[in-house]
Amino acid sequence: MRSLFRNLIGKKRVERQLDDELQSYVELAADEKIAAGVPPEEARRRALAEMGGVEPVRQAVRDRRAGTRLETLGQDVRYGWRQITRNPGFTAAVVVTLALSIGANTAIFSIVNALLLKGLPFPQPDRLGTIVRQDGDSGYDGPHGISGEQWDLLRDDVPALYAALSSRGSNGVNMEGRGHAQFVTDDRISAHFLDVLGVHPMIGRNFTEAEDQPNGARSVILSFRIWQETFGMDRAILGQTIHLKGEPYTVIGVLPRESTAPLTGDVYTPLRPSRSGEGGGTNYGVIVRLRDGATWQQADAQINRAWADWAKWLAGQIHASRITFYTVSLKKGQTAVLGPKVKALMLAAGLILLIACANLAGLTMVRVSRRAGELTTRMALGASHWRVQRQLWIENLLLALLGGAAGIGAGYVALRGLLSLLPVDFLPVSGVSLDGRVLGFSFAASLLTSVLFGMLPALTLKRLDLRSCMASRTVAGVERLGLRQALIAGEVALTMVLLAGSGLLIRTLIYLETLPPGFNPQGVMTAKASLDDARYHDPSRFRQLLNESTAAMERIPGVKVAAVGLSLPYELVLNDQVTLADGKEAGQQVGTDATYATPGYFEALQIPLLAGRTFTADDGPNAQDVVVVNQTFARKFYGGANAVGRTIRSGSRTAVIVGEVGDTPIASGLNPVAPLQTEETMYFPAAQIRDAAMLALVHTWFQPSWIVRTSGPLEGLTGQMQRAMASVDPGLPFSGFYAMKDLLAETLATQRLEVALLGAMAALALLLSALGIFALVANIVSLRTREIGIRIALGSTVRRAMATVAMPGIKWSAIGMALGLVLCVGALRAMRSVLYGVKVYDLPSLAAVVAVLAAVTLLAVTIPTLRIAYTDPSRTLRED
Amino acid sequence: MSPKQTNLLQGTLDLLILRALGAGELHGLGISRRIDQMTKGTFQVKPGSLFPALHRMEEAGWLSSLWGDSENNRRAKYYRLTKTGRAQLEVETEQWQTIALAMANAIRTS
Repeated sequence: MRSLFRNLIGKKRVERQLDDELQSYVELAADEKIAAGVPPEEARRRALAEMGGVEPVRQAVRDRRAGTRLETLGQDVRYGWRQITRNPGFTAAVVVTLALSIGANTAIFSIVNALLLKGLPFPQPDRLGTIVRQDGDSGYDGPHGISGEQWDLLRDDVPALYAALSSRGSNGVNMEGRGHAQFVTDDRISAHFLDVLGVHPMIGRNFTEAEDQPNGARSVILSFRIWQETFGMDRAILGQTIHLKGEPYTVIGVLPRESTAPLTGDVYTPLRPSRSGEGGGTNYGVIVRLRDGATWQQADAQINRAWADWAKWLAGQIHASRITFYTVSLKKGQTAVLGPKVKALMLAAGLILLIACANLAGLTMVRVSRRAGELTTRMALGASHWRVQRQLWIENLLLALLGGAAGIGAGYVALRGLLSLLPVDFLPVSGVSLDGRVLGFSFAASLLTSVLFGMLPALTLKRLDLRSCMASRTVAGVERLGLRQALIAGEVALTMVLLAGSGLLIRTLIYLETLPPGFNPQGVMTAKASLDDARYHDPSRFRQLLNESTAAMERIPGVKVAAVGLSLPYELVLNDQVTLADGKEAGQQVGTDATYATPGYFEALQIPLLAGRTFTADDGPNAQDVVVVNQTFARKFYGGANAVGRTIRSGSRTAVIVGEVGDTPIASGLNPVAPLQTEETMYFPAAQIRDAAMLALVHTWFQPSWIVRTSGPLEGLTGQMQRAMASVDPGLPFSGFYAMKDLLAETLATQRLEVALLGAMAALALLLSALGIFALVANIVSLRTREIGIRIALGSTVRRAMATVAMPGIKWSAIGMALGLVLCVGALRAMRSVLYGVKVYDLPSLAAVVAVLAAVTLLAVTIPTLRIAYTDPSRTLRED
Repeated sequence: MSPKQTNLLQGTLDLLILRALGAGELHGLGISRRIDQMTKGTFQVKPGSLFPALHRMEEAGWLSSLWGDSENNRRAKYYRLTKTGRAQLEVETEQWQTIALAMANAIRTS
């Protein structure tokens, strides 16, 4: 250790001493020879020759010394750094390429990390699960809502699990606390929901089982956010009464600040599961915790045994041969939909990295051949192959580190941008951050990149022939172009796959966004309010509210018609079961979408009436029950025959179909095939709802919309609508205002996001490929300047010379496209499940992709060849 | 580097140098000549291997060095064994004898 310090610190002194020692050795040896009678000059020469030169001995001693390795490493790093800073153009190209590709990977990986890799922030997250359903024939394998009956069986007959329920999704409700009415999301949870998760209220307590019984005491647990924003973090709120859904609730607890999915509500109220009403259908979400000593296999077996009869019944209902249930981890349950999409994006990001590697390999190869003079000189002066190789690797590594750091910065920016694109609560995680794992990943990715792109030049160097290189001052430059061209073909092929993939997604989005709306979205503004409110459970109060509020809105200047409907086009619609009551279809039970509407609903949206009539003020509670159906309903259930005048039965009531209207696309619910589709839909008059329980139930699930059609401007309309509503009921806030295009955008948020993300990746790939082709052709131009000069001097035209040089770029890009088409055949098939209205092998989008790639290729080869036009043959010839 | 790991060739050179210095201090050329003499010309140690070995052994603490005047008044760097050097000489001698004996036996029996 001491000698290490001596060698490193007192380097100069040690070196001088070594010189002296060797010097004295030569002199002593010469003295010996002189004593033996050799003339002094000759003696000295022989002594030196015997030694074999001072420098190799000196180097041999140096290599032996402690700390030599460290010292030469330091030298190499310093030297490498000088090389890097001396070539800002090259360095910038490498660092920018790395920053873009590592940045894309960092951003996507941080989402993969947050979504798929990190454990849920609950105690023993691996023992948390949910139950999914697998249907025999249809291949359905996914989330399953459970009914009240299933819940009783699960709780009593599955001892392996500790289970709890929640409403599926949040309900929007009105809250009145501290003086003002406010719209909040209410997650309803069963008594032990928090216990199953292992979450304890930060202050106060959890729900008791008594509170979770029908008609139990009304109590509410607040989220930290609401406690902070509405109640100013006042601890005295515990035990106080606030008004929710028009009823008094006692605040019993506040959840901790860092609560995350599935705890995303503003407030929590008891679910009160039962076998009737909501519990009559499969409307509850379930979470389970494996009890100590039990296994998931036992749990699965117990579930299937407990639910055997129920499964048989459901199988009959949906015409499946067999239905089985099994547990999956809660994490997996939460990411069932997003997981595959995120993985696909990660794959796309990986392709970007490969493309970047190909480019960087090309760039560094050019660098090495440019440095042939320097490298061969070093080797001629005695540097070993290993030392020169190591030098190159160190430079690669330095570049990788620089690029990696830039990439992490770029990734951070990209991630912020990406997250701001996402709808609120789109990802079921509390936050996405660049944590240690993400940084480690990015670091590893840049190292891997440096190995991949450094390998090629290093291999080139291995076959370096000193003598010919010294003579020609290039390292095997031209023959190695073959490899670079192959790389170009490879990256063009990968780019093609990404472009074709995003092309298909764009076509899908265009298809969905340009579906014939079936109504006129111009001049329409809508607003939602929660009627999950004790004051409006009474049908007559509900009727009165609708009448008075629409009348108030129709008094707004410019408004032609105002109406209310349970749901709107583009939205998810209530599913119902009705029985066809007459003709040859009599007794047939059918599932249909159902929505209530006030008179004016079809007129406000301008949904065309095809036959019969729409609702009028006369379709009241005491008149004959009527319904209006859409075209799909008529076609599907009556084979296209006139539906008007036919009757249907719902419960004990029989309704006459009085009209048929056009179809409008809705978010699919009944039979999901595409995110937007037309389904059989039945409209019934809001005024003919007589069942208070049913009214309460649909309003826990859906917030109705007030629709206003105006001939005036939409600006300012929202304020007027709010004032009109307040004149009827000041305690009923609108939860939001939506133009029809907002609803469309919300339904297609996932598709838009997919297009944005994959499109950005494809654009990045295209940019990198263009840079690669550009660099290749520019390199050929500079390598062949002389030859081109001769050609032009001998009478070739500039144009022909340009063509000769550009040819490899065009040729290999074309080969890449052909290869890309082959790859597309395999790769695009995986996208089938996310494509709508467009086939996997879509000629227009493939043609567009080829056209784009061809145009970019032409651009990338033309710019560098333009230099030839300015080539002066007499000058280039004189250069060498 | 522990003595056990020294390979045969390097071990040979080390042992020769240690033995050459056994009788007293010598400079580089002196060591070279002494080895020549001891092995009756079988081993001629070139500076290319001698000096790296000397510097390594010095760093290992087996040798110490100091500058002095040679018999014909040249300044030269003299090496001498340290205490650990002497111990090392014994270890290596013993090791070498074992190897030599083993090799001799091996050659005889074949």
